[in-house]
Amino acid sequence: MPEERLMRTALLILAWMHALCVWAAPVVYRAASAHPMVGEPITPAELLVEGGKLIAVGKSVARPAGARVVDLPGLHLYPGLIAMPTSLGLVEISGVRATLDTTEAGEFLPEVEAWGSVNPDSELIAVARANGITHALVAPMGGRISGQSGLMQLSGWGVESMTAKKPIALHLYWPSMELSAAPKSVKDPAGPKVKSLKEQANDRAERLRALDRFFDDAQAYQKARVAGLKDFRRVPAWESVLPFLKGGQPIMVHAQEARQITAALAWAKRRGYSMILVGARDAGSLAPLLAEHKVPVVFDALFELPHHDEHAADLHFRTPGVLHRAGVPMALCLPMGGWAASELRNLPYLAAQAAANGLPRAEALKSITLRPAQFMGDATRRGSLEAGKEATFIAVEGDLLDIRAQVRRMWIAGVEVSLESRHTRLYDRYKNRPRP
Amino acid sequence: MFLLWWPAMFCFLLRLVAAPGELSPAGQRPEPPGVHALVGARVVTRPGDAGANATVIVRHGRIDAILKAGEALPTDARVWDMSGKVIYAGFIDPYLPETTAAAPISNRATTPIGATSGIAFPGVPQTRQDMGATGPGYEVARITPAYRVADKYAPREKENQTLRALGFTAANVVPSAGIIRGTSAFVLLTEADPNRVIVKPDVFQHVAFETPGDRDEGYPGSLMGVIATVRQAFLDARHQVAARVYFTAHPQSSRPDFNPALDALRPAMGPRPVLPTVFEPGSALMNHRARLLSDEQELSPILVASGQEWRRPELAKASKAPFIVPLHQPELPAFPEKTDWQQVSLNELRDWDWAPEIPALLRRQGLTVALTTYALPEREAFRSNLRRALDRGLSEDDALGALTTVPATLCGVESQMGTIEKGKLANLTIVEGKSYFDLNATVVGVWIEGRPHFPEPPAPSAKPSAKSTPKSGSEARVAASPADYRGPLATPRRLLIRNATVWTCGPHGVLPRADVLVENGLIKAIGKSPLPFEGKVELEVDAQGFHLTPGLIDCHSHSMILGGVNEGTLPSTAMVRIGDVINSETENIFRQLAGGLTTANVLHGSANPIGGQNAVIKLRHGEPPEGLKFAEAPAGIKFALGENVKQSNWGEKHTTRFPQTRMGVRAFFVNRFTAAQQYRAAQAADGPPVRPNLELEALVEILEGRRWIHCHSYRQDEILVFLRTMEQFGIKVATLQHVLEGYKVADEIAKHGAGASAFSDWWAYKFEVYDAIPHAGALMHQRGAVVSFNSDSSDLARRLNLEAAKAVKYGGVPEAEALKFVTINPARQLRIDRWVGSIEVGKHADLALWSDAPLSTAALCRQTWIDGKLYYDRDRAPERFVRLHAERERLLSKAQAQAPAGESSPGDKARGAFFRRALESAHDTGRCYECRRND
Repeated sequence: MPEERLMRTALLILAWMHALCVWAAPVVYRAASAHPMVGEPITPAELLVEGGKLIAVGKSVARPAGARVVDLPGLHLYPGLIAMPTSLGLVEISGVRATLDTTEAGEFLPEVEAWGSVNPDSELIAVARANGITHALVAPMGGRISGQSGLMQLSGWGVESMTAKKPIALHLYWPSMELSAAPKSVKDPAGPKVKSLKEQANDRAERLRALDRFFDDAQAYQKARVAGLKDFRRVPAWESVLPFLKGGQPIMVHAQEARQITAALAWAKRRGYSMILVGARDAGSLAPLLAEHKVPVVFDALFELPHHDEHAADLHFRTPGVLHRAGVPMALCLPMGGWAASELRNLPYLAAQAAANGLPRAEALKSITLRPAQFMGDATRRGSLEAGKEATFIAVEGDLLDIRAQVRRMWIAGVEVSLESRHTRLYDRYKNRPRP
Repeated sequence: MFLLWWPAMFCFLLRLVAAPGELSPAGQRPEPPGVHALVGARVVTRPGDAGANATVIVRHGRIDAILKAGEALPTDARVWDMSGKVIYAGFIDPYLPETTAAAPISNRATTPIGATSGIAFPGVPQTRQDMGATGPGYEVARITPAYRVADKYAPREKENQTLRALGFTAANVVPSAGIIRGTSAFVLLTEADPNRVIVKPDVFQHVAFETPGDRDEGYPGSLMGVIATVRQAFLDARHQVAARVYFTAHPQSSRPDFNPALDALRPAMGPRPVLPTVFEPGSALMNHRARLLSDEQELSPILVASGQEWRRPELAKASKAPFIVPLHQPELPAFPEKTDWQQVSLNELRDWDWAPEIPALLRRQGLTVALTTYALPEREAFRSNLRRALDRGLSEDDALGALTTVPATLCGVESQMGTIEKGKLANLTIVEGKSYFDLNATVVGVWIEGRPHFPEPPAPSAKPSAKSTPKSGSEARVAASPADYRGPLATPRRLLIRNATVWTCGPHGVLPRADVLVENGLIKAIGKSPLPFEGKVELEVDAQGFHLTPGLIDCHSHSMILGGVNEGTLPSTAMVRIGDVINSETENIFRQLAGGLTTANVLHGSANPIGGQNAVIKLRHGEPPEGLKFAEAPAGIKFALGENVKQSNWGEKHTTRFPQTRMGVRAFFVNRFTAAQQYRAAQAADGPPVRPNLELEALVEILEGRRWIHCHSYRQDEILVFLRTMEQFGIKVATLQHVLEGYKVADEIAKHGAGASAFSDWWAYKFEVYDAIPHAGALMHQRGAVVSFNSDSSDLARRLNLEAAKAVKYGGVPEAEALKFVTINPARQLRIDRWVGSIEVGKHADLALWSDAPLSTAALCRQTWIDGKLYYDRDRAPERFVRLHAERERLLSKAQAQAPAGESSPGDKARGAFFRRALESAHDTGRCYECRRND
């Protein structure tokens, strides 16, 4: 067995080296179809790739001298899938504390950066990759401001080569707006003290004020920094907030409930910040408002049960379609945390479920490819199959949005990457267990 | 000084009740005369009596006569002018808790994981559990039937004053702690020598289905555990009698225990119980459970209403028991923002709007109703809440009966009180004004055993302050009944589904363009369209372009459980039964029907090696718990291995309960099954009667092939060792649940004949699932094991067809075979494949109709049929939610109009009356991505 594994690894390395050698040479990929995410699907399709970039995409492309042709008969090409905020790489086994790097302690943690702590050899990354995910926005959790996310390429030799773009966003977990109207537990005097509604409302207002104070302070720091007087002192935490202040890079606001979403929209507008809404469970009922604010939505509650009995059983299945029809730009993702990180491979089936429930199919595909790239300001490089973009694509046998389909091959920036994982290795091993 | 004082004090107390007889010693305040004529009042002698101007003659504590107006008064009577007043028989509260802090039992969610119990548990000899008290008693500290309120009772002046101001003259004082709590005592509400005021000791035995909630009190920690504990205690009481009889006949045999707790239960038990048992079931569904348990143990039940009866009036009716009804009516919170109302659920609003109607609702079921001040955060609200109950249909006669004759009869004191008639105790309630039920009227005093008591300070009129009550007490109910939204949409005797692609999951494979004929709930014929048949059909479904499959079956669900999924306190809880706590009220049933699911194996959690007994149900939306059960399904039980049962992820505290290792898990099974064998042998042998042990009974059933094991398992070693251990006892395992590393020992699983009920693709959330692979289902299938994919999640149960598709993706199982992972295979695993799981003639017509091939992500469930009845129709689902939404809107506008303004937020005390979260709706929502550890 060890020899087999060694052989396999050696072969992989060889393939990799070979890929590097041919990286610069032009290659034409011929497939049954391509779904470029802009315009109609192309059938049949050819991709010309050179120097890690897409040079041309069409029914047939010009073949430069020396171009190698790779035939992908019966396979369909899609851009690599992009997972929006996730804990992938920051967690291996959610039940084992030592393997958790998902959640920092403290309340305001803007200087926490996710990209440097992604474990490149996490088995979870390979498993996600095996179903077509080439990139993931890895984001921190913990506190009110949890830190900054970075876009990670899900293949490479280390965090530096895997970090595709950083920082992408500052992550703000919107304070809970819930008030407890549950009865005080008379039977359990040792239980937590339940505050009156009035006290709770005061606490809630204070949480929002604290948020504003934080950003007021950041803006004051910015002003002092520009003034540059002698007694100015650099503070790493404030420094890391600067790119996200007025007119800058986006703040990803994690909010689920209608009151949170409404409050966050007003807050971002008042402060002139660029905002992306993440989570957005109740977004369906606020679609016109979201459209009016032109705030992109990353919806993670597709498979969450409705929170009210009078909500239709398929309410969250239909929310993406509702958002789309209202004109809200929308991406789909799984929730944050270790559980979802291990289940990330099911990302295309979120899009499939949304498509079955009213989201146009083309838009469903975009919600896991082009839209994420656009939200991250990365659409010039990724998210679609267009000339000039990075040659990151997958070849699928069947319909990507169908569970019965198979992702057969994957290229990231023109280099083919392995779809092997812990799962395929164990499968191969036990498939071949001698029968009794 | 002290010595002189105390007899005086004693006599002062005595003065308050009639004690005709001995003359008080000289020097003490002389007794007042004991003959009174209450003249000029309207006297309502009993419910139904309109009341006429009459005179009540009281003589030495008893009613001596009722004279017509104008009749001559006894010459010795002291005359009281009662004109303008109404006199009723003194009111009786049948449920006055012994401690003032007592509140209704917890009806909120329970999280019963986190026990610290050591190995000790009922069922393991020589390891009796902490009694929680000194002295002899029952092995579970919260079972205290020998406790007598009468032993400790002392009058509480302040409380008595409050009650008298409401017109009460007597009450049954009930114990307020524990599960089986002890007996109540009937008292007069006056401050005197307890020997005088206690009219009757041991009125009822008291049982409350109370769970410890988040508190760690050992076994039982869940609702099903509480019920199992009650059941076992009554069995133990019977056994104790038998054991004594045997010992008397065989004085040399082993000596039975002295156990006063069990002796105390005897009077409550049949064949002819002399002591009624009052249950506080705490939820609508548990009303019926209390009745079933009473039938089992031959008890005579009286139920305390939970206020949730509106959910299932028919179950209250089926309980055929008298109800003691609190007048709790939730108050509305003063939300600071209008948007805050978003968080209030339809359930909470309904609960609020139905509350005043509970007494009338129960009367409409033909049930006997007594009223109590119990459960009111502030007793002063009693009269205004009663007024609202009257406005919602409770008749004044019924209300008066519920305060007088009914509680008197329930408490067995009807010969002494309850009506105004000659010879009864002179317990009278006197109201100035039109009637007690008129809020402008005032209770001006009560007479207790012939002595007047006037409120001090004088009782205010019952008119409540404007701030704490609705603007109008009489507004109509706008809440609907849950029954309006559930139940089959069509129940054709004969049904034809035409032109579908039929995935039979049986020997016929997939039939394109086929018809299926259903008659009386069973599949009558299947064949190529058009299917020839005689006669007419009642309903025809044109399924052109659609796909018909058997109704899906979920072999691992926790979606319909009331009051806790785990009884995790002990390493073996084979005695607890999911069947006792099926939640028929959860919206999960509808949501899963909408995904084509028709049958679910509802399992206990995996917190212990031997868990509770499971229940297989059909999703017959609208049926009560007993109606959901799959009658033909054989009995089963949950077992578990690995990290959960050895408490690996329970926190640092949990390191002492056996077992802590996989080695121990095996040893534990050997121990328990050996115990079960010896138990069975002892039962068969001559000798003293064997104590019935519900834990070992369940294990004996397993040994005898009458109960099937569904074992939560992860790692290959533990799977193999478990199979071998069971084989050692001659046991065939029905299913290995989850069985994540089952693919490594697939041949062995197939050879044993255990089914493999797996997740499709979960992994990496615990160390023991690091080697889980999505190809496991396919690999086990290919090695000959019967494989199913289950949900273990209220979300995934909505789309099990797509889980089956993963067997195609990972491992290349053909589509028709993969569909069997969620149809016939789980049916085989649950031993219900004779009835369901495939579309074959003679089987139940449990069907799902899909818009596309069932394993396609484009497939939407269009219809779901169970027993030939239509329970879900995609075309009609939106209308249901439109109506539900409209109901909530109506309730919201009513509530918002009545809610106190933001500024006058009620204080902490009133918070007790805010919305309560019913047990029935406690487990419905929320993310469950990180909650897998013990499910």
